[in-house]
Formats: sequence, C-alpha cells, structure tokens
Amino acid sequence: MDNTTRTLIIAFSFAMIVASFLIGWWAKKKATTTQAYFGSTGMFGPFAVGLSSTAAVASAFALVGVPGIMYTAGNAMAFWMLSSGAFAMAYLILGKRVRAMAEIGEVASLGDISDLRFNNNRVIKAMTSITLLLGCIAYLAAQIKAGSELFGHLIGWDPLLAGFAIFGVLTIYMAVSGEVGGLLTQAFQGLVMVVAGVVIVISFYRITGGFGAVLKVTAEAGSVTANGITKDLSPDIMNAWGAMPKVAAMTYMIIPILGTIGQPQVLSRMYALKDPKDMPTLGIYTAISHTVVGFLTLAISGGALYLVGTGKIGPLETGDRAIYAFADYAGLVTQLFVYAAVLAAAMSSASLFLSVSSNIIVRDLPNALGIKFSDKTQLRYAKVSMVVVGIASIFFSITQGEAVAILGTFGWGTLMSATFPVFILGLLWKGASEKGVMLGSIVALVLNIASFAGMKWPGALPWYFNVISISMLVTVVVSLLAKDEKLDKKVEAVINL
Amino acid sequence: MKMTEKTVTIFVLITTALWVIITVLGWKGQHMAGMYLGLVMMLLYMILGVSKQGVVSKKLLFYPLISWGLVWAISFFLADFYALKYAGVMPDFTIMGFHPSFAPIIFLYWIGGMLTLTLGFVVLKDEWMSEEDWDNFKVKIEGLKEEEKRRVTNG
Repeated sequence: MDNTTRTLIIAFSFAMIVASFLIGWWAKKKATTTQAYFGSTGMFGPFAVGLSSTAAVASAFALVGVPGIMYTAGNAMAFWMLSSGAFAMAYLILGKRVRAMAEIGEVASLGDISDLRFNNNRVIKAMTSITLLLGCIAYLAAQIKAGSELFGHLIGWDPLLAGFAIFGVLTIYMAVSGEVGGLLTQAFQGLVMVVAGVVIVISFYRITGGFGAVLKVTAEAGSVTANGITKDLSPDIMNAWGAMPKVAAMTYMIIPILGTIGQPQVLSRMYALKDPKDMPTLGIYTAISHTVVGFLTLAISGGALYLVGTGKIGPLETGDRAIYAFADYAGLVTQLFVYAAVLAAAMSSASLFLSVSSNIIVRDLPNALGIKFSDKTQLRYAKVSMVVVGIASIFFSITQGEAVAILGTFGWGTLMSATFPVFILGLLWKGASEKGVMLGSIVALVLNIASFAGMKWPGALPWYFNVISISMLVTVVVSLLAKDEKLDKKVEAVINL
Repeated sequence: MKMTEKTVTIFVLITTALWVIITVLGWKGQHMAGMYLGLVMMLLYMILGVSKQGVVSKKLLFYPLISWGLVWAISFFLADFYALKYAGVMPDFTIMGFHPSFAPIIFLYWIGGMLTLTLGFVVLKDEWMSEEDWDNFKVKIEGLKEEEKRRVTNG
C-alpha cells in the first residue's frame, strides 16, 4: 500500500470518527433524563433505530471474522450473516411486550424490565446483570482490540495509542450523551456500513464477474501455494455446509437467528422505538440494512477465494486477512470504505456494550444489592463509570491479547443465556415463576463461568448452546414446581397484549 | 386459534424439550434433524409471540409463519440433497452462479425467509397489534395505575 493510499484511508476513517463525535456531542442536549441517558426510551423512529440495531449487531467479527472463516472453511459460517429475517422474528416474538413494559413503569435498562416482571427480585436482577456484564465486556474488549490493532498497523502507531485515539473519542461522546448519542452514532455508523456494502458488492462483481466464476475457480483450482502458504480449494467449500463439521451449520443457523432476540442491542432498541406500531417498519429497515451487510460478507469471502484461486494474490496467512486482501486488490475506493466499515462495525458495537456495561454497573447491580441512587446521582456516576470502563477496556484489550481472544468466544451465546429465561420465558409465559427464573439465571451464570474456566461439554457444539438449553430447562421445570401466587395485573396485561 | 394458559404451557414445554433434543442431536452430529427441529422451535416461539388476548390470528399463522417454515424446510432439504449429490465434484449446473446446494440457502433461507417474515409482518401488522389494541392497552394500564394509587391512598 503506497503512502497516498494510506493517508487517504486514515483521513477518511478519522473523518468518520469526527462525524461520530459531533453527532454524539450534539445528542447530549437530548440526554437529560435517566430514561433518555440509559435507554433512549421511546425517543426514536424506525429508521434510526433500525440502522442502529444492524450496526450494533454487526460487529467487527461479522465483517472480518465471518468472511475469514468462510474463506478458510466454506459456507457453513455464512448462516451467521444470512440471518436478516431474525429482526422481524424478534419483533414478532417479543417486540410489543418489551415496548409495552415501558408503559407500566420506568424502563431505562433491561434490569428495569426484570424488576417489573419479577416483582423486584434482586437475585434475578443480579444474576442476569452479571452474566450480561460478562458478555458485554467480552464484546467490548474484542471490538477495541480489532479496531486498535488494525489502525495501529495502518498508521504505524502503537495499538494502545490508536485505541485511545479511536475509542477514547467514543468514550467521551458516550459519557456525555449516553444511549441517545450511542443510538444516533450507531445509526450513522450503520449507514456507513450499508454504503460500504454496496461499494464492496459492486467491486466484487467488477473483479470476479459473479458467483459463477467464484464457484468455477474454487472447484477447479485444487491446491494453490505461494510464499510457503498452501490453500486447498474444492467444490465442497462452496456448497451449503462447507468444510466444517456439518453440525456447525445447524449451530450457526439457530444461534444467530434465535439469538438476535436475546441480544441487548436488539432488546434495548425495542423500547427505544417511539411508537410501537412502527415495529413492522423497523423490521424492514433492519432487514434491508442487514441484508446489505450480509451480502458484503459473501462478496468478501467469494472475492478472496477467487483472487487466491486465480493466482492474482497469494494464499492468505489467516482468514481474517480476507477483507483487507480483497480491498487492497480492488483499489482505493473499496479500501476507503472497507476500512471505514470495519471501524464503524467496531465502534457501533463497542458503544452499545460500553453503555450497557456502564448501565449495569451504575444502575442495575447497585439496585440489585439494595442501593438506590437519585436520578441526578445516577447520571453523574454513569458518566464517570462510562469513562472508567472505557479506559480500562482499552488498556485491557490491548495489553491482554490472549485473554481477549478467549473472551471473544464469550459474547453472543452468553448474552442469550442471560436474557432467554428472563425475557423469552418471562414475557411469553405467565407461568415463568420468580423461583424458576432465579434458578435458571443462577445456573446460566455458573455454567458460563465454568465453561470459561475450561469445563468440557460433549460433542462439537459451542459450549453456550449447552448452557442455554440447561438454563431454559431448569427455569421451566422449577417454574412448574414452584409457582408464583399471583401475577401483577399490569404485567398480565403486557403478556396478553 | 385459541391459546389458553394450558396451551401456552404446553408450547413452552415443547420448546424447552426441543432445546434439549437439538442439543443432544448436536452432540451426535445429526445436523439435519437439528435444523428441522430448530425451525419448529422458532415457529412455536413466534406463535406464542403473535398471540393477542389469548388468540392467534389464523391469517398470521398461515402467512407469514407457516409459509416461512415451509420455505425454510424446503431450503434445508434442497441444500442437503445437492450437497450429497455433488459431493467432491463440480456441479453440472448453477443457480445464478451459486452451487445448487448453497443457492436454496441464499434464495429461500436468506432472502425468501427474510421477505416472508418482514413483509408478512408489515402486511398483517394489525393482526399482530392494531392501533386500537395499543390504545386499549394504555387505557387499561392507566386504569390499573389509578386503582393502585387509590389503594395506597386508602391504606
């Protein structure tokens, strides 16, 4: 990469950071109440919420990791990104009920919904909050690491310095404007990702001629070796199951689709929507934007396979290089958008998880321990907490590389295991009892930690699949054995809605 | 379709059993059975989700829900059929350039599934929750809050 290209990429990416900062700073005038600062509750229309949801769901892993794994092991991993219908599914299942909870009491966090549903049960709130916190910190660290290392390498800066330049700015605007700034900047970053998706797909067709050429090259190239690296290509990489164990396709079908309902970035956006009757329109915006990002991942993996198979570039050292190798071959315009899109993906997910983490630390966990702050104090502490968590995460992500890599496996499934008993069962089933959900939440937390510490599970499924199944089973069985005496009438009205 | 408390509990029991069965199928490497059952599990959750005052709209049930389930089931079947048929060899036809095993995943699972659910949701949004439903809900909540206030005031 020549110096002019490098300078333009850096300038373009930093322009995006500056624009995000300005949006975040501008948003502070709207973040005046705890509900606005912590939850953007009932504040935005479907366009902003839709782009924000897509941006927060599509993390750096979606743009870099998924095409990388598809380049390495074929199409099974594609299921992860071909989940654009998941938003409509999530809204159909839980949308009206999550939004309706904001009508029966103050909702500024997921913990507030847990309180309203389960009679201020502190154990449920504490267990769910801790599991959510683990998942959020894991995601946050992974985003910071990906963004800082990429730009540190590009600019020639130490990753820690790059981390502070990018995520320090993010921390500042999140601290001043909370979720209001978070949602609006994520919407902007989502738009950047969508435009990048269109640019990359056009580049893909221009370079390869389409998926037919990719299939032909991949099926016929055999082994390609260059610079001491060999890439084995075969037609099976391009079928639906790819070269991974076939059960991977099953996992990556069920977990991203159903798991979308259990992600804080989707649940919290349900109550950020101003008018709940706009939820079907919200489904359209999320579906379109996510489809473009999904197409981007197909284009990147297909493009990289084509370039390697035709000998235009050498086999990649790691799959994660696929997106950059393709962009570097495609030329300046694609490079500008690819680097900006990866940064946008990392920043949007990081801002969401920074906000949720801070929310839990300042609001939900103290509340679960019986400590209540006034609204004014909460806002003051939240700003401090946002800065502390932001700075600590930057240090941790850059200096503890191995731990971050392990934590990276912790995110999506951990968040599902925290939210499924409370939200899916709690808001769909009147029979979900306090004791049932309490025990389900405890089991989820304990098994998540045990799995993180190295506990082995049978078969080739990711461990969180087992954890979710067991926590759901425990919740339902205990709920049937230990029923609640009565259900709050307002909660009953929500479940009946 | 009526959704009594008992029916909802049965649905919850079935979905929970499906989580466990799918996990065991995953351990055993039975991906196809797991995918079909995963589809059933999602369908049941959606039926629970769209129920309104204990009733599931038949319109919503057939379109988009069951239609979506059929589109996905067909995509899984075709994906596996052509993966086995062309295992290790270049297929002798493609669908818009895609491998015949991957094309059903692109056009039915991804685009078809997304369009069926998203557009069905928009077209039949009132069956899910109409303006009147929401307004009635808000009135009911206001009434319940007033009732609570009165109870607190009266000791």
